[in-house]
Amino acid sequence: MAASDVVNLGEFEHMVLLAIMRLGDDAYAVPVREEIVRCTGRDVSRGSIYITLDRLETKGYLRSRLADPTPERGGRAKRYYVLRPQAIDALKESRRALVALWRGLETVLS
Amino acid sequence: MNDEAPRVLRLFARFIPADLREPIAGDLHEEYLEMRERHGTGRARRWLWWQSLRLALTFRWERSAHGRPLPPIAEELRGFGHMWDGLRQDIAFGVRMLRRQPGFTTVAVFALALGIGATTAIFSVVDAVLWRPLPFPHAERVMSLAEQRPRESRWFGPIAPADFFDWQRDSRSFASMAAYMVESPSGAYNLTGDGEPERVRPLVVTSQLFDVIGVRPVLGRGFRAEEETVGRHHVVVLSDGLWRRRFGANPAAVGRTVAIDGRTFEIVGVMPAQFWWPSRPDIVVPLALDDHDRTLRAAHFLGAIGRLRDGVPEDRAREELRVIGMRLAQDFPAENANHAPNLRPLRDALVGDVRAMLLVVLGAVGFVLLIACANVATLLLARAAARQKEVSIRTAVGASRRRLVQQMLTESLVIAAAGGAAGVLLAAWSLSALRALLPARFAGLPGLDHLGIDVRVLTMSVVVSLATGLIFGGLPAFAASDERLAVSLNEESRSGTGSLKAKRLRAGLVVAELALSLVLLAGASLLVLSFNNLLNVSPGFQPAQLLTALVTLPGTRYDEHERVVAFFDAVFERLAAAPAIQRVGATTSLPFDGVDSRLNLTIEHRTEESAIPVRVHPRVVSNGYFQTMGIRLVRGREFTGHDAEGSGPVVVINEAAARRYWPNDNPIGQRISIGATDEWREIVGIVGDTRHEGLDADTDPAAYLPQHQRFDSLGAGFERAIALVIRTSGDAASVTALIRTAVSNVDRQVPIGLVRQMDDLIDDSIAPRRLNFVLVSAFALVALALTSAGLYGVMAYLVTQRTREIGVRMALGASRTQVLALVLREAGSMTALGIGVGVAVALGMTRFMATLLFGISAANPLVYLSMSLLLAFVALLAVAVPSSRATRVDPLSALRET
Repeated sequence: MAASDVVNLGEFEHMVLLAIMRLGDDAYAVPVREEIVRCTGRDVSRGSIYITLDRLETKGYLRSRLADPTPERGGRAKRYYVLRPQAIDALKESRRALVALWRGLETVLS
Repeated sequence: MNDEAPRVLRLFARFIPADLREPIAGDLHEEYLEMRERHGTGRARRWLWWQSLRLALTFRWERSAHGRPLPPIAEELRGFGHMWDGLRQDIAFGVRMLRRQPGFTTVAVFALALGIGATTAIFSVVDAVLWRPLPFPHAERVMSLAEQRPRESRWFGPIAPADFFDWQRDSRSFASMAAYMVESPSGAYNLTGDGEPERVRPLVVTSQLFDVIGVRPVLGRGFRAEEETVGRHHVVVLSDGLWRRRFGANPAAVGRTVAIDGRTFEIVGVMPAQFWWPSRPDIVVPLALDDHDRTLRAAHFLGAIGRLRDGVPEDRAREELRVIGMRLAQDFPAENANHAPNLRPLRDALVGDVRAMLLVVLGAVGFVLLIACANVATLLLARAAARQKEVSIRTAVGASRRRLVQQMLTESLVIAAAGGAAGVLLAAWSLSALRALLPARFAGLPGLDHLGIDVRVLTMSVVVSLATGLIFGGLPAFAASDERLAVSLNEESRSGTGSLKAKRLRAGLVVAELALSLVLLAGASLLVLSFNNLLNVSPGFQPAQLLTALVTLPGTRYDEHERVVAFFDAVFERLAAAPAIQRVGATTSLPFDGVDSRLNLTIEHRTEESAIPVRVHPRVVSNGYFQTMGIRLVRGREFTGHDAEGSGPVVVINEAAARRYWPNDNPIGQRISIGATDEWREIVGIVGDTRHEGLDADTDPAAYLPQHQRFDSLGAGFERAIALVIRTSGDAASVTALIRTAVSNVDRQVPIGLVRQMDDLIDDSIAPRRLNFVLVSAFALVALALTSAGLYGVMAYLVTQRTREIGVRMALGASRTQVLALVLREAGSMTALGIGVGVAVALGMTRFMATLLFGISAANPLVYLSMSLLLAFVALLAVAVPSSRATRVDPLSALRET
């Protein structure tokens, strides 16, 4: 994927992808949201998580699968998400861009 | 599992795209269970509702914001989604249609705004006065107690102390019972000490007050039982207002002392700010009766309230009191034979006869609302007829009847919503005017302070708006969407006036409007005539240019009769010297100013048992009183300077006393004794009757006693609270200053009450009736305007629709007169029917009106006749324009047009 395609990874999309990466095999909406809340201290609405997950999947960054229904979910299945290679590329590119922009500015903020 | 989570999730799942629905619902369910584990079901349930709602809105918004179609909604939900979309479309379409017809929309919204606005305003008053709970815990259990005298048709009179204490001892229905002193509205105590002397409104009450109303002092304490004994009763609980005004809200005020009527009282408590019963007293002091007073059965001067025990219904308490009353009547036949206990909820006692009045006004406003609905419905019907082509086309391309009705109902609801919003604004704006019309004695009612559009009132307005939208919109919508009607369209453009069904509906609505208008017009004119009759009642004195002011002398320094007399003589002397003052007098019982004591009357040499209790109102008056007031001397003489202590005791009676007790002989020269005394007084004069409790109240027998002669039957305090009456020739303001100076020159420690004009006192007494007639008349006029507009609209529509028919008739040789007759016959029959129905309904409702009328029968034929003629005349005006248009129809162009 060309760099120009991945630069439009929004901040929130960025966070969601990182959270999925941190969670590994256990990445579905509830722990994704909890991870973001835990790491960033921000309150995140459930709606934005679902919409972002849906959007990232449409963009081809994520793949999802439905697991077997469980009783504590009222007999409903979980939708697990894993990163596709494009997501890894996009994250790398985003990080590279940010780091490049940050270079030399650390002292200004501290 | 008794759990509503699945139901909530199912409900909201509809708004979530199908492919996300299952995992999202599962996630929520999972988090819900965890939440329930940690915080309990209630919080978890609220959380679930909130999150589901947020998610649903998020997805709705997401779809509309990005214009990206969500995955298709599942089949079973398609109907719901369609309805939602359809509703949005309908509203948008409705708003467009209404904007395209500004004339129709303005008239409809205006009519509804009048109806809903008036309803909202009146509802807010009725709610505040009649329905909103009094600010006591379990206020519905607080009863007002009274003594009734059925033979005199007096149902809620004051209570004798001994009777009250017997009820209190023997009754089991009440958790607590408190007695208080019935005071005249302007009765007040003098508060002196630091700062200006001030007149304060007292509540003199037994210690149980705080239990009965369930409100305790916020600071300090209430009264102890032993503080009801004379000598230990010098304690006072302040109102919040007085505490802030005089003590700067200092908590250390409790424990300090104040001088009330010259005696030192210890401040023991402060009441909460919202304490108001019965009319926002400034101070609460214990009712202390000495041993003699506690045994009185013939002197009635107490009021009482009681709190029912839990679970005891009002009726059982009434029955128990009735039994106690019967026993007392047996034990004390002389005093209690004609008395019986009575009770009613405290709210009823506060509101009294105003309830009927307010309900009539509420009924009247309801009629206006119905007329407005009928009016808009006729407009909609006429419009629906004009839209029949549109309806036919939509039906032809497959719109279901349900869909058409939904569309038209939505339009009506849009009109209703606009009318409702305008109405609420109108109500909010009119409330201040309405408050000014309310009688002064309502001032004490909680709720009226904050009279306004609150959640309750707003809820009512919204419900009324929706209901009106459904009522006025429903009928025309169903009529217009009737397929048979649509089919009949084709013929209709030939035959003229729409299907029979729609025509009947239209005529029915106009007849209903006319009938409702007539009921309102008849009611309003009865109230106006009553009010006029009332204004024409002579009070028995000349109220113009008469000022009054209440003066209460402190008992400490004015404990002797001679001092009281000397004080007033000195004040009279100073006032009489002023050129702006013509005459001065004084009385213990001012007309139109609250209670009037009553005492037994004994006539010398008369022993026969009378079925009617022999009683009079004793009124101590100064020498110049009758002349100052302008009370007519009928016979004998007035009091003179010679009627003083030491000369023979004399009395002047009014004509009512003369008529009742000496129907066949001359009372002058006879001797009577008043109250529990053996002092005989000679009747030296008879004066004209004065209205005392109101212009509409009968005049009771009264006995006037000269101020210079001691009169002890009502206790020593009686003659110390006196109303000055001053006839002026100058303007009121300068004389007010004169009165204040005169009183304070005689004794600086005696403050003076509000100086009022007698005219205002009379005016206050008729304020409820004025409110009644002003409102009902206003509503009747609105009704008349709406009805004539409705009639005009319908007739104009009929004429337009029948242009072709009229053209044909004229082409065939019908004269203009015949055409006119044709149109007028239609209008005439509707008007006649409407008036007929209206008269019948109004006559059927007379019993609700009877108590509100004065000097006129609720079935007065002249009223009905004149109002029918008025309505017929207005109806004629309303149809004049459309019918003259009909006569000018040009046969040729009429035939060509269609």
